[in-house]
Amino acid sequence: MNRPASDSSRVAATTGAAAVAEHPHQPFAVRFPGFARRLPWLVLAILALFPLLAPTFGLEYYVGFVRRLLIVAIAASSLNFILGYGGMAALGHAGFIGVGAYTVVALVEAGFSSAWLAWGGALVVAGLSAALIGAVSLRTRGVYFIMITLAFAQMLYYLAVSLRTYGGDDGYGLYTPLEMGVWLDGVHPDVFYWVVLVIAALVFACFSRVAHSRYGHALRGIRDNETRMVALGYPVYRLKLAGFIAAGAVAGLAGGLLASHNAFVSPAMMHWTQSALLLVMVMLGGLGRRWGAPLGVALWLVLEETLKMHTDYWHWPLGVLLLLAVFHAPQGLAALSERREGGR
Amino acid sequence: MSLFVAEGLVKRFGGLLATDHVDLAVERGEIHALIGPNGAGKSTLVNLISGLLPADAGRIVLDGVDLTALAPHQRVHHGLARCFQITSVFRNDSVRDNLLLAVQAQAGSSFRCLRRREAETALMDAALALADRTGLAAVLERPAGVLPHGMQKRLDLALALAAHPRLLLLDEPMAGMGPEDSVQMIELIGRLRSETAILLIEHDMDAVFRLADRISVLVYGRVLTSGDAAHVKGHAEVQSVYLGTEAHA
Repeated sequence: MNRPASDSSRVAATTGAAAVAEHPHQPFAVRFPGFARRLPWLVLAILALFPLLAPTFGLEYYVGFVRRLLIVAIAASSLNFILGYGGMAALGHAGFIGVGAYTVVALVEAGFSSAWLAWGGALVVAGLSAALIGAVSLRTRGVYFIMITLAFAQMLYYLAVSLRTYGGDDGYGLYTPLEMGVWLDGVHPDVFYWVVLVIAALVFACFSRVAHSRYGHALRGIRDNETRMVALGYPVYRLKLAGFIAAGAVAGLAGGLLASHNAFVSPAMMHWTQSALLLVMVMLGGLGRRWGAPLGVALWLVLEETLKMHTDYWHWPLGVLLLLAVFHAPQGLAALSERREGGR
Repeated sequence: MSLFVAEGLVKRFGGLLATDHVDLAVERGEIHALIGPNGAGKSTLVNLISGLLPADAGRIVLDGVDLTALAPHQRVHHGLARCFQITSVFRNDSVRDNLLLAVQAQAGSSFRCLRRREAETALMDAALALADRTGLAAVLERPAGVLPHGMQKRLDLALALAAHPRLLLLDEPMAGMGPEDSVQMIELIGRLRSETAILLIEHDMDAVFRLADRISVLVYGRVLTSGDAAHVKGHAEVQSVYLGTEAHA
């Protein structure tokens, strides 16, 4: 606390909170514990009520948009888990999204119509693919790991392109929506939105929970100092593989949901640029931070949507945003809220 | 039978024979020092024994169990723990979290993923006990990376001790330390004698002569001689290696 008094009082004056003056460096969550604890529930409540309120404000179109945002956030959370907590820079995450989506297609083509079976299948098949790909990839480190995960994802991409039965390059339309069961279907036109919201909340809660468990601590230890973890007696390879499989499975689930959301599946969704985009969103939000993935996804997709309404050249403002983020918030948005008054 | 035996260890880096058919034994309750000039292959030897580097030939046996084919993390569970020459701690984590991570590796599965680790009081107790033994109890909440060098070295040692080793490999535990920290470290290592055998690599000859029961001299990847302090001090070749290297170079 060796800040000059005038500085402290300026901070107090601008925010109007006496507590801030006493602890100008403390994170947001420490200064306002009650609010920080309730914020997730508040966000969840707003999201839950959104489809009911949207018609009043003429925002019906955005129910679908938020649904997509939630699905992408599920995928991004899984990437944040292995990259942010586990230090595994996987550049092939869209591959697992694709595996999930094509599993849904395969099940529909085979005559199944249950959504739960399809999404569960997407989760399992993507998890199995992650087990195979991870078992090989995790024997490498650094740049080699990036390249090998990229290579596997591109192999999956070309596999999808070559699958004539499922539309090949043109993709595959899912013309009849999957059935979620008698007591869900037809209750409300936006039932699928709430199902996605519940799944997203569960996935998010699970990853947050795991982060504080033995496993979560071990995973971060591996990220920070893998050699020491080996010397402490940790089965590093198996621990990483377990995380990789879990993340792959969740990405597959997101892929399955995305297939239902779009009612369409094409190889484009597993192109490597999609993996890169997912990486960018997670980094923008804050690698290895609890709120990193949803924040990054929300910022990116909302800006994209807004910019698209005003201009065809919506890519370059996003590029500028990225540059700003690199220079002013290299730790991501989630980190920004933690030390607004700190640093300078 | 010796507690630990290394037989015919060989390691090549390209054309360089870094470890040249090294035989080494450590007895129960013994502090066995390994000395030698820079580049003699001391750290390579520690890496071969701990398994971080695969050996090209030879075998290692601890307490009658052949560890040669085991992965480094499995060797830890057989009682072979190590420290690092370049302090290797989790710099961004608190001392407490460092110790918890070390303790956790030994007690139960690290695949448990739903229960909060903070709720496991047994882990916390073990971590605190470890902090007490190594004189770190006063700095539990400090991030490891901001601790003074001597304390970081002690933390490095504490992390290895969590494994309840039967053989502890110490790679220059006194490196870069001032005299006060060295004295503390020598005391700490001396106290460990009752619970684990130690293979000590050290440049600080004072420390070596005060601690070691036996000393082996490594030169160009080979064990030149092995014996107690008087033997090594009186050995003509050792003297020429230590006093004459600069003249040759």
